[in-house]
Amino acid sequence: MEEAGGSGGSDRRSRGRRSSAGPRYSRAGRSSFGQNRGGDDGAERNGEEEAGAGEGDRDDGDETTRRRLLRQQYRELITVVQKNREMMLSTRNDKLTEALEDANKLFIGVSRAREAALDAQFLVLASNLGKEKASQLHSDMTVFDPSAFAEDLLSFMGLNRLEGDESDSDNEQLASGFLPSNAWHKLGEEAKKYFRRTPTFHFMLGTFTADPPVQRPRIERQQKRAGPAERRAMPAQLKKMEESHQEATEKEVERILGILLSFFRDDPNDPISFLEFVTDPDSFARTVENMFHVSFLIRDGLARIKLDQYKLPIIEPLNPEEGENNQDTQARKQAVISMSYKEWQNIVKTFEISQPMIPPATQATT
Amino acid sequence: MSQKRGTKRPGPSQVQYMDVDEEDTLSQTPTSSQVQHNVQRLSQSQMEAKVHELVFFLLVKDQKKIPIKRADILKHVVKDYKNVFTELLKRANQNLQQVFGMELVEIDPKHHTYILISKLPHLERESSKEDENTPKMGLLLVILSLIFMKGNVAKECKFPATPAQPTSLLPSVPNPPLLLSLPLAAVWEVLRRLRVDPGEKHKIFGDVKKLVTEEFVRQKYLEYNRLPHTDPPEFEFRWGPRAIKETSKKQILQFVSKMQNKDPTFWTNQYNEAEAEGSSAGGR
Repeated sequence: MEEAGGSGGSDRRSRGRRSSAGPRYSRAGRSSFGQNRGGDDGAERNGEEEAGAGEGDRDDGDETTRRRLLRQQYRELITVVQKNREMMLSTRNDKLTEALEDANKLFIGVSRAREAALDAQFLVLASNLGKEKASQLHSDMTVFDPSAFAEDLLSFMGLNRLEGDESDSDNEQLASGFLPSNAWHKLGEEAKKYFRRTPTFHFMLGTFTADPPVQRPRIERQQKRAGPAERRAMPAQLKKMEESHQEATEKEVERILGILLSFFRDDPNDPISFLEFVTDPDSFARTVENMFHVSFLIRDGLARIKLDQYKLPIIEPLNPEEGENNQDTQARKQAVISMSYKEWQNIVKTFEISQPMIPPATQATT
Repeated sequence: MSQKRGTKRPGPSQVQYMDVDEEDTLSQTPTSSQVQHNVQRLSQSQMEAKVHELVFFLLVKDQKKIPIKRADILKHVVKDYKNVFTELLKRANQNLQQVFGMELVEIDPKHHTYILISKLPHLERESSKEDENTPKMGLLLVILSLIFMKGNVAKECKFPATPAQPTSLLPSVPNPPLLLSLPLAAVWEVLRRLRVDPGEKHKIFGDVKKLVTEEFVRQKYLEYNRLPHTDPPEFEFRWGPRAIKETSKKQILQFVSKMQNKDPTFWTNQYNEAEAEGSSAGGR
């Protein structure tokens, strides 16, 4: 149809250009239509008479030759087109348009009615051929209708036109109805029949994509993330722990020294029993801890332990200055004190300790 | 994986071959007698192992349906067996045909890419397994059908007045090219009716535009080109080389006829074209 439209357009165009010769067309066309050479002659004679009547006086030789040549060319063209009618009608070539183009070229030289009549004659012939070509085109090409195709596809896919789908109702162009979820699978199954597509295989042990696993970037990212974080976190944590530990011990030692000094100041003449001082009746662990902290006082020469008359250890603080002197003069001794849970229990019982002399650190600090 | 497999053949000269450009080494294709001579120098088991390796490689590569490049075959499988490459390919193809019912086809003689196509008729029963590609094939078939059925015609009526035509008056349209084309818009128009909208995420196809204009194109089912001198740009679809190998105009016409419940001869032009293609291709 489109092609026919195209040649129709060109016909119309040529007619437009020749509108000056308009009135003669119908006559000349009628006489030549469906006829052969005879028709041509008739038209020619017809034209000659008129031309002779109107313009005989202005005939000079040159002009006559030119017009004769033109007429001859027109006749030739018309003959060729008529002879090759089948070829002209074929949809495989553009002979008809070529012929029209030739006629257009000839028309440039037309100045008199006689030649114009020949041109009109050709045009009628061409129009007829064009019309025939168009109808032939129409019959051998049923136009494919994509929307009908789409409708048929939807039907095949199992569209239920009775069940309305609300979401689609706003668009009137779309067919309404419910499209089942397996619709495309159904079409796909059908489609497979038309492809010589190799089947894809599947793996017996679960799914396994044909792609190489995307492990690489993940590993890199992990390493990147872990690397600096570890370096940053670990030393900081360690430092803190060490610091706090040291600080805590130091603080505790100082606190115990303060307690010892306050007891001593209260009654300088009453010796403080080491065991009574250290022992916490509520907690074995705290008792051991106290002994540990006291050991620092001894080491630093801030206190000393000696045995009283009953051979029980007593503790007393040392004056730092005094201690310094002592440190020089007295040889320091090391001693290891062990205490088991049972011993602690005995001590608590024997010394009848009900309250710790050193209150628990948590209570003291907070 | 393929590299690991590669270690089992003897390869002292492997490194030096890898450095040479693949295309270069193959452009000086040895004559068949030379190849035969080279084959004879290798043991039967060496050749066989290599052929099996190649078959395996092709089968795995085919899973994604992206054409297999010759350069990849050379790089991952053939390696220093390049002097017998043609023979390896020939035997691998034999294997594929006899054992798997497939055929190795070169779809791009310029860039040397290959695809596998099935030699066996489609069996009704094998379709029992649901696979994610099934619906995609449906979509693809619809698009290929549209291109074939509506083809050039759609293009012409879509752009009736390109500036060049009115002045020359006589559009010298040559015979319709073998590959019909269809503007993108015309394809979407139909797909929208099938409730597949390029702007929306489809519950089965996901990003439809990507599937159609990228995946199908990479798999060489479709060709997707910008029309020259269009602003805003217009795009058109054509059949890709894989579509030509895997299906035919006749098949497509059969599908359309079945869907529309008509005889294939109903569309005379398309029917003639399909028949012409069928006879020139030796009939399918």
